[in-house]
Amino acid sequence: MAEGRLTTFLGRTAGNKDTAERFGIADFLAYGYLLFGVLIILVPVLWTLFSSVKPERAVDSFDTRILPIAQVETEVDGIGPKSEWIYTDDNGNQKRVFKAGPTRRETDVAPIDDPDAVIKVPRTQLTPSEEIRVATENYLDPLLKRNGQDTFTFGIYLFNSVFVTVAATLITLLINAMAAFALSKYRFRGRLTFTILIIATLLIPSSIILVSLFFVVWSFGIFGSLWGVIIPAAATPTGVFLLRQYMLTIPDELLEAARMDAASEWRIFWRIVMPLSLPALSVLAILSVIWRWNDFLWPLIVLISDPAKHTIQLGLTQYAGEFDSDFHYILAMTVVSLIPITLVFVWLQRFITTGIATTGLK
Amino acid sequence: MSLAGSMMFLLGVLWIGGGSIWLLAKRRYRFYQIPSFAMDLVGFPVEFAQSVWGRNGVPYALLLPNMVIFGLFTFAPMILNFYVSFTGGSSISLLDRPWVGWSQYAEIFDCESIFEPKSCTNAGFNFWTGMFNTLWFVVIQVPVLCIVALITALVVNKNIKGRGFWRAMFFYPVMLSPVVIANVWNWVLHRKGILNEAIGGSSDALTAMAGMTGFDIIATVLIGVLLMVISERALRAPDMPSLGWTVLFAGFLALITIWANPLSIIEMSGSPLLGLGLAGVLIWIVSNNYRFARFAVIAAGFVAAAMLVSIQFDAVFDFGRHRPVNWLVQPNTGWPFFWLVFVFTWSHMGFYMLILLAGLQAIPADLYEAAKMDATKPGRAFWRITLPLVMPTLTVVLVLSLIRSFQIFDEVYLLTGGGPGRETFMVVQNIYEVAFTSNNPDYGEGAAGSVLMAIVIAVFTFFQLWITRRQSEF
Repeated sequence: MAEGRLTTFLGRTAGNKDTAERFGIADFLAYGYLLFGVLIILVPVLWTLFSSVKPERAVDSFDTRILPIAQVETEVDGIGPKSEWIYTDDNGNQKRVFKAGPTRRETDVAPIDDPDAVIKVPRTQLTPSEEIRVATENYLDPLLKRNGQDTFTFGIYLFNSVFVTVAATLITLLINAMAAFALSKYRFRGRLTFTILIIATLLIPSSIILVSLFFVVWSFGIFGSLWGVIIPAAATPTGVFLLRQYMLTIPDELLEAARMDAASEWRIFWRIVMPLSLPALSVLAILSVIWRWNDFLWPLIVLISDPAKHTIQLGLTQYAGEFDSDFHYILAMTVVSLIPITLVFVWLQRFITTGIATTGLK
Repeated sequence: MSLAGSMMFLLGVLWIGGGSIWLLAKRRYRFYQIPSFAMDLVGFPVEFAQSVWGRNGVPYALLLPNMVIFGLFTFAPMILNFYVSFTGGSSISLLDRPWVGWSQYAEIFDCESIFEPKSCTNAGFNFWTGMFNTLWFVVIQVPVLCIVALITALVVNKNIKGRGFWRAMFFYPVMLSPVVIANVWNWVLHRKGILNEAIGGSSDALTAMAGMTGFDIIATVLIGVLLMVISERALRAPDMPSLGWTVLFAGFLALITIWANPLSIIEMSGSPLLGLGLAGVLIWIVSNNYRFARFAVIAAGFVAAAMLVSIQFDAVFDFGRHRPVNWLVQPNTGWPFFWLVFVFTWSHMGFYMLILLAGLQAIPADLYEAAKMDATKPGRAFWRITLPLVMPTLTVVLVLSLIRSFQIFDEVYLLTGGGPGRETFMVVQNIYEVAFTSNNPDYGEGAAGSVLMAIVIAVFTFFQLWITRRQSEF
């Protein structure tokens, strides 16, 4: 009896009797699925993040401990910096030593405080003396061009990426909104033709016109410049449709009222239609930012020959290719290039997900 | 100065200079209206069109920039593609390119059989290897992506705590660039990376556990009890078995079938498939509310119990030493391809999930309430309400993901580079390498490849649209 009451109590959820449902197996499976999915999504990213602050040696030896653990380096009098080891003798006493010779079965070591007292000890009784150290040099070396790491010009890459993203997004928003306004609020000869033409572009994937687009861009003289990346994809059929669907819901009476007040058509567009379409515009802005920031193949073709024009994506690819074994730098720079978009995401995530789900792409 | 440069210069002078004069002559601006003046200047061509042709000219002026860019950078290349594919040489100037007729196509088709790329010449070999890899990839990727996205959308659409958080988490990889994704996964999938380490660690632990005395008996009893509890839960309701518990039960049934390996008696190796098939059939029966569903669950319980007794658990959990797999490099293992599909799903699923979520939320809630009144089981509600009503959205997702996976380049180029050998070499990479990376770029062959690829994509898209249209007519 008491037991029954207890399970009812524990199984009770918020709400009145009709809406309250017990935490059933379906919920259990759902939460299990969600947790599993989020783990698969987050663990690789977090693992990269944690690995990126590990010292070079820990990264190169694929240390799988989460924290950045490094061997202690100590300044030994008259010899210089040495890696510190702990020697445990047969009685269990521990002593801080450094290696005075090559590692063999019996290794020459000397105590840190007495560098001349070299003794032979079995290798198995030596353990590295470790400390937790955040390896900021992984980040600072490439960013500040220290230690010969002068090929990853992050500032230039960031500027190029931001320039391409911002310019392309502004142009896309403006011209797509203009086209959508024309298609949704005017009756004119050829409206259907234009609509069909735009649908047709939706069906032409960009990767099947790569070669000839290259010819076009070359003959316009914008090959190798950032504009060669910005202009060709500025007119997006997706954007026109998204905005058109939204603008159809704006009542024509508003426009008529403005015309009564002798507002020009451009002012109607700019002062009335644009502000009212703000939700759809912001969804398109977000999509455009994602597309442009992450764009890879076309920038690779257009910009690859000039390192001063590389975007972050290209710079990172080149960098990872150049230093195939310098994982600690590559990981750190991966994290650096992941940060801007992650910040944008954390800042706008609620808006992005609901915006795309409610306005976008039906 | 380049063509575009001089055109832009002329246009700029006309636009800014002429526009300013024209606007200032027509309207008066106060000092604080400078922003307003700037915006009027941006829209000067539209204003001009209105003053010349009246309101009828405005839509054309509004459409002009968009259509010019579409025309120059989408339609013109589309047509130019055909022309380039009939020319040869490596000149960039279109006029210098000699007309070679069909020879670019002939080179690609120069095979004994295109289904055996090895019998082709070099160009044909690369193209058809890429094409068949891509087709294979699409055939696997599209269903996987759609099913995972649909399941996730269904789960996220449930009344669960922290919906916004889960949604955002599943969408997050969409924001990441292919380069970051490739670096992250390269790091995880390295031969000494965390994945091999985790598998090695857990297999060592399980092997050690299986080595303990009495492990076999304890495992049999534990799993037996677990099965009893789950099947009792599934059959607790007086009429129909509960779907959720049945799914869990079916999962265990599949696992036990795989472990017991009943097909090994007749020396066949299909037990994993058999297990998954049994589980699928069971879920199908229960979700469709067949009258014999209860009986099916009970029967499956007996089958599971019989198989359970025959399992040698200490052999099942004795994995031995895990030898690290070089996931992205080891040839002839299928792993590079598997991880390609995995990473692609990982990075694109969130987007399609959101589209499907929009479709799911558009389904009126009263339908489900009415179904609930009629005591409809959730499984039946899914097949009869959710799936038909979400079908239009699902079609959109199918088409979008089809076109998207056909164009796969970034992920594969950065993760495997087409390797090992040519196992993950895709058709876009072939076009890119033929036209842009070699010292002697063969634009003609790249264009010919693009044309063939466009044809295949078109055929696939129309075929898919045709199938889904037939379905929605039911």
